[in-house]
Amino acid sequence: LKTLHLGSCMITSSLQAIQSGFSEIQDRQPKDEIIDLRILRKTQPLQDTKPAGQCCLLHHVLRLYLDRVFKNYQTPDHRILQKISGLANSFLTIKKDLWLCHVHMACPCGEEAMEKYSQLMSHFKELQPPAAVVKALGELDILLSWMEEMD
Amino acid sequence: DGVAALPAPQNLSVQSTNMKHVLTWSPVVVPEEIIHYSVEYQGEYESLYMSHIWIPSSWCSPTQGPECDITDDITATVPYSLRVRATLDSLTSAWSTLKHPFNRNSTVLTPPGMEITKDGFHLIIKLEDLGPQFEFFVAYWKREPGAKEHVKMVRRGGIPVHLETMEPGAAHCVKVRTFVKAIRRHSAFSQTECVKVQGETLPL
Repeated sequence: LKTLHLGSCMITSSLQAIQSGFSEIQDRQPKDEIIDLRILRKTQPLQDTKPAGQCCLLHHVLRLYLDRVFKNYQTPDHRILQKISGLANSFLTIKKDLWLCHVHMACPCGEEAMEKYSQLMSHFKELQPPAAVVKALGELDILLSWMEEMD
Repeated sequence: DGVAALPAPQNLSVQSTNMKHVLTWSPVVVPEEIIHYSVEYQGEYESLYMSHIWIPSSWCSPTQGPECDITDDITATVPYSLRVRATLDSLTSAWSTLKHPFNRNSTVLTPPGMEITKDGFHLIIKLEDLGPQFEFFVAYWKREPGAKEHVKMVRRGGIPVHLETMEPGAAHCVKVRTFVKAIRRHSAFSQTECVKVQGETLPL
């Protein structure tokens, strides 16, 4: 279990379990050959978000994955379905913890966080829904490595 | 269409000990026939965001026994709904759903097994290997009035760990409990075991 420090918000998360679930999905997915279409990768690096805005940005990004990515990912592969369920339920747990920070005023949404999130959303909307979902899922490693650095 | 010709499995329940979770149900009996079962689950995410979606369990879609190891499916600390149905050739029963969703934070945590040995004056402990989710909180002390209790966190079971160098002629005692970070809970302490450098293990 890893402790994530997001400004004045602190949560714990089983990042390792999430990472291994995502790795299994990657192993079963065709390699993403379309490199000129990007979402997280084209957004200003999440890594240099100021600590104060990290909680808000992460909360919004998780909501994007929960509301629009996991939900709309179509696959006949039961194994991938099982792994996505694991990811989604783990993200849901993290989102609930972030919400508690929000309730306790420890998750402010500053200009920088909102600017990055709107940039990210515009990239997401540039793509057709099925492609955006596959692309966003494929780029989860960027989100996980950002979270990994939050200690 | 034979959907409800087969009775649905009854008495679904989950037995969970040390983060191993097994779903059981009463078998559907049709003389001289082999019944198969399919198990599916929904985490909190599925029930909130896509309630029509049920996910086939990793090991029991299908299965013959009236039980299913769902440990690999329960991968988050959220409530999970579970359902089972029976099939016999083209006949399929209705789904039976677990009455109350299962959350892994309700698992029963038992005190871990431990093996205390001496290597010369060295006190060595080897803990039961319960899997990667378990850490061990080991308390040890010299049995004498006012003795200070020492503590050591052991990250993995199954490997010998040196606790301390013992004083000749003094009894040294150990007790241990498990801790599971994923659910933020620990077990009760084990029985205390003491050992004396020249003597045998002294049960309390």
